[in-house]
Amino acid sequence: MILNDVVCPFCGCLCDDLELEVEGDRVVRVQNGCSLAEATFMNDTRLPAPIRRTTTGWEKISYDEAIKETADILKDADRPLLYGWSSTHGEAQSVGVHIAERIGAVIDNTSTVCHGPSILAIQEVGHPGCTLGQVKNRADVIIYWGCNPIEAHPRHMSRYTTFATGFFVPDAQRERTVIVVDTRRNDTANIADEFLQMEPGGDYAVLSALRAIVRGKESIIPKKVAGISKEQLIRVANICKNAKFGAIFFGLGLTMSRGKYKNVRNAIELTDELSRHTKFVISPMRGHGNVYGSNEVFTWMTGYPFAVDFARGIAFYNPGETTAVDILRRGECDAALIVASDPGANFPRVAAAHLAKIPTVLIDPHVNATTALSRIHIPCTAAGIDAAGTAYRMDGVPIRMKKVIERGYPDDAEILKKIYDRLNGEMGS
Amino acid sequence: MKCILNTGRTVPQGTAVEHKGSDAYRTVASACFLNPVDMMLLGIENGARIRITTLTGYVVLTARSAEGVTRGEIFVTIGPYANHIISSETHGTGMPDFKSEWVDVEPTGESVRSVGELMEEIGGLRYDPE
Repeated sequence: MILNDVVCPFCGCLCDDLELEVEGDRVVRVQNGCSLAEATFMNDTRLPAPIRRTTTGWEKISYDEAIKETADILKDADRPLLYGWSSTHGEAQSVGVHIAERIGAVIDNTSTVCHGPSILAIQEVGHPGCTLGQVKNRADVIIYWGCNPIEAHPRHMSRYTTFATGFFVPDAQRERTVIVVDTRRNDTANIADEFLQMEPGGDYAVLSALRAIVRGKESIIPKKVAGISKEQLIRVANICKNAKFGAIFFGLGLTMSRGKYKNVRNAIELTDELSRHTKFVISPMRGHGNVYGSNEVFTWMTGYPFAVDFARGIAFYNPGETTAVDILRRGECDAALIVASDPGANFPRVAAAHLAKIPTVLIDPHVNATTALSRIHIPCTAAGIDAAGTAYRMDGVPIRMKKVIERGYPDDAEILKKIYDRLNGEMGS
Repeated sequence: MKCILNTGRTVPQGTAVEHKGSDAYRTVASACFLNPVDMMLLGIENGARIRITTLTGYVVLTARSAEGVTRGEIFVTIGPYANHIISSETHGTGMPDFKSEWVDVEPTGESVRSVGELMEEIGGLRYDPE
């Protein structure tokens, strides 16, 4: 069977033009997708049934048993942490928030180690952004700062920027100028019109220098800023000022480097500065398929986009204190529920190690590094493959992911709902 | 040799990301890209084992030559190998220094551990599917 207009759930691009050939419970061909999409749909090995760690190994258990034990762990915990949420749909995320409120947990999503600092910056100075459709149809100058779309978002350039034909930019390759700022000459840099190779940690200084030049203060700029020549900075500032419509996309090169959210704030303020000359926008390159959705769902329900602490009975938000890595590294939480993510692989060692010291339950379709740190692993559907649901693209556009095959697993929203109902029953609804 | 550890995503890492127990994932996540001049100064060839040490601990990786990496920097894909040596300090932001950890790089004869072994070193127990 051929399925059209399928949404790939892997990265924040959420490409919605895939054509899939399906045979029974398997996807046998992926058309239009990148190699990440092909691997997502065609190389999808699952944990067959719930497992529980014993003193010497692992044993299979039933879903009912796994759900009961998870509810007991969460009910008995004084400071539970609910973490992950970015590779599942909004329906599961919203049940997660209800559980967090019910048991007074901290709930955090993967943006905490991704674009969390971007959100902090946006909370300080706002977000002059737009949808990817606007970029595709209007932008004649594209800046990729501290990101490498060829590797991390392989179809971003062909669908929206460098190679995409737009209404006002019909000859994209000739009419769009692409600028890349990075410490490494990566594959994206190799096809840029201007590549600014910066010394590690130089983002804040280079952004400040560009802001100064755009303001007409180029006389105060030294000959080199973080390894980039003054001449190149002036040239790039002029390209930006002369753009009809400019779009800055930034990645973890800004959020994870020294300065963190202050780097992003400076980039937003450069955007503001450029918008006094022409039209400029800025947007983060969101990583996981539905990480933006986790921010949306958390914000509608709690008022805060990540790192929400319900210990006081009301939603409290203080990144640096209520963020997952900080709670784990302080050894503060005494139980953890991990959903649709892999902190075992993606958190620094000390934070990941705490998961093995406490009862940790993982709800995820795949065996991953966190499996080894868990007490129980409950397999579930994978959103966008064998479960339908809503996800948010990196520009905040909600897209309905399709169910393309049936593999007999329960939806994670359903598992979470059962845990919630059990908690309500035992705690008194 | 003192270097700054940079981490990031790559296509091979992304295609193997849901198969963390596989050899393919171990190969991509434990590859360490260095500038060829730095490799020459360390006296190592492409494919050599290197030991990367920080205050948090050490990890053994496979050296890969990459001209795009500047001298004094090393690049490792995001994942359990890089995180084995990255500090959990977040400076009050929630975000660790995934791209600015100072590391010490030296040649070694030790072998690269599996993801399961790394998780067992921090208190886990690997699950081997039947």
